[in-house]
Amino acid sequence: MLVTYIEAIRQAMDEELARDKNVLLMGEDVGVLGGAFKASAGLQEKHGADRVVDMPISESLIVGAGVGLAVQGMRPILEMQFIDFITCGFDQIVNMAATLRYRHGGQTACPIVVRGPSGGGVHGGLYHSQNPEAWFCHVPGLKVVAPATAYDAKGLLKSAIRDDDPVIYFEHKFLYRRIKEEIPAEEYLVPIGKAALRKEGRDITVITYGSPVHAVVKAARDMAAEVDIEVIDLRTLLPIDWATVKGSVRKTGKVLIVHEARLTGGVGGEVAARIAQDCFEELDGPVMRLAARDVHTPFAPAMEDYVLPNQEKITEAIRKLAAY
Amino acid sequence: MLIDVVMPQLGESVVEGVVVKWLVEVGELVAKDHPLLEISTDKVDAEIPSPSAGRVAQILVKPGETVPIHAVLAKLETDPAADRPAPEEPPKWDEETEGAPGHMARSSGPPIPAPPRIEPSAPAPPPPPETGRVRITPVVARMAAEHGLDLSKIPGTGVDGRVTRKDVEAHLASGGASAAVPPKAEAVPGPAPPSSKAAPSSAKAPEGKPVTAKAPVAKPSAAKGDQVIPWTPIRKRIADHMVRSKQTSPHVHIFAEVDMHKVAAVRAKAKKEGVNLTYLPFVICSAAKALRETPLMNATVSGESTVLKKDIHIAVAVDTEKGLLVPVLRHADRMSLKEISAAMDDFGARAKSGKISPDELSGGTFSITNPGIKGNLFGTPIINQPQVGILRLGQIVKRPVVIDVDGEDSIVIRPMMYLGCAYDHRVIDGVAGNGFLYRVREILEAGDFP
Repeated sequence: MLVTYIEAIRQAMDEELARDKNVLLMGEDVGVLGGAFKASAGLQEKHGADRVVDMPISESLIVGAGVGLAVQGMRPILEMQFIDFITCGFDQIVNMAATLRYRHGGQTACPIVVRGPSGGGVHGGLYHSQNPEAWFCHVPGLKVVAPATAYDAKGLLKSAIRDDDPVIYFEHKFLYRRIKEEIPAEEYLVPIGKAALRKEGRDITVITYGSPVHAVVKAARDMAAEVDIEVIDLRTLLPIDWATVKGSVRKTGKVLIVHEARLTGGVGGEVAARIAQDCFEELDGPVMRLAARDVHTPFAPAMEDYVLPNQEKITEAIRKLAAY
Repeated sequence: MLIDVVMPQLGESVVEGVVVKWLVEVGELVAKDHPLLEISTDKVDAEIPSPSAGRVAQILVKPGETVPIHAVLAKLETDPAADRPAPEEPPKWDEETEGAPGHMARSSGPPIPAPPRIEPSAPAPPPPPETGRVRITPVVARMAAEHGLDLSKIPGTGVDGRVTRKDVEAHLASGGASAAVPPKAEAVPGPAPPSSKAAPSSAKAPEGKPVTAKAPVAKPSAAKGDQVIPWTPIRKRIADHMVRSKQTSPHVHIFAEVDMHKVAAVRAKAKKEGVNLTYLPFVICSAAKALRETPLMNATVSGESTVLKKDIHIAVAVDTEKGLLVPVLRHADRMSLKEISAAMDDFGARAKSGKISPDELSGGTFSITNPGIKGNLFGTPIINQPQVGILRLGQIVKRPVVIDVDGEDSIVIRPMMYLGCAYDHRVIDGVAGNGFLYRVREILEAGDFP
């Protein structure tokens, strides 16, 4: 069936709400309105107001209530209307949800999913364009995923809901209605912790995730005549699928990491450091990174383009690395 | 403190090794695991890493010397700082970083000393600029070490003339490093020569002069534009072994013309079942059977005795990037065709990734070499000492042959192969040698491979 990325997310929640009565959806405007982006359209009507719950504008409350429900055996999906506002729920996620299993000596779990629209490219300005995934990759006890396709959006969300640990699920609002994809009509899951090979190649490995996956794959295809590029979509950022990453690096010897989040302190730094340490003798060039410039995401379209990675910048970086 | 750098055991059967060269000098500071020297043994070449950080105090073995395992190769003065006893002075409270004593009762124990304040020492002067330095990448460094390449001879196409992996691959592919990739030899490199006691005659040419392989290494003469490729330890070992084998064994070469059509039929049938078989396992299987019936061919020479080997361990040449490797199929006569094929695939894969252990390369009682599809009509293989026989597959070509069909001579098209065999005439006479090859041919032509 042909679905958009956001429809895949809606289907995942719909199916899991129907499958398991312990699953709840809580967030601002998720019920009557069906979500600011309509990710939960029709779900309250179908599953009831006690399972698809409109919450006050307080991310701390949404996550905190979710942690409490999870301890009692529920599996709440907690929507941040924009992922930028996850900071208001930061303490509940990092200090409460992430530590729960540890604090109880492994005897309790915290099966929550915190999800929401992240990313730029939509001229949303600095409060509606952020990619804060790196903050959460620093925290043991969490899992962090960032799907790039409709197939993965659905399969990873279903896996996240069924996972016993807190999963932070970064959906990319640029992709919501821009990609349409055939996905299976029958039920499927995408495992957390497994990267996807988007294109095979011999010369350069480009490691990416989220929205830039599409620009990277397009760049790789367009450049096929000059350089043979392998594209890895990490999909899960915590824990990273190091076996796939290293296997590819050992093959190509050259690596470019691309993400839309800012460069400094980004996930790419961790990936680069691991590769430099574990694959040193395989490297045929410096491990390179392409990411957003270290500034806030501007509102003006021309300035936003200047700040975020795009196919042109990816192509340029690949050429630079290929020539090394 | 002075510690010993000892010769490690590299493979269970290795008892000694030759120091190829030292990578450090006396007085040099080395980090832990920094390569100290290169050694070469019968089975592997290896760099010996430093067991500890420190300064090289003494080098006890010169390049070219043979040393037993566990022998002391060098002495290392370990980092004096690491050995220094902890300062005697009790830790002091640092008011600047910890506040006034007593105001922050962190624990009932003594206060934690602040980290010592260290004045930054003057930065070391930059090293003098090196001229003619080769720019490379990490993977190139590794490949150069593996293949024994002189990187200054490889033109770099990367940024600033850097030598990249592609440059090295192109260099190797163009045969530029024939030191690293020996052409397919007509025989297989065997173990290094035994001690002079075992083969005194091989060390000297008849007139008593040192033989070529043992002659002092002269500076290679080369005209401008010629390329000089110094022998790697592996190349040198192959060279020595070939010379010694030719001087030791009077080789008799014989050839059988084998009709492979039944073998081809078995292959075709296996292929339909999804199993890919090459011709080599059939020859190994047939040879193992024939060796069981001809014990004299499955033998080694030791001094002035022939040792008929109880077990049949067939050494099979496998071509790799680093040169010819000869892993040994143990008890080949007890293996089925499919087991032999699977074992050969496994050897081939592991040989390419360098994961064959030294012990898998020793103990062969007979050898087979297969130069592959470009192996030409036939060849005269050199015996892998101290064995007494070797088989060589020729190219398999469809030819018109005359056969008997119901008492009538008929011409049919058959896949034919010249199978070459060398045997050591010191030990094996014509009847046994020819009988053996004839029997291999019979088994192949019968095509009965369960």
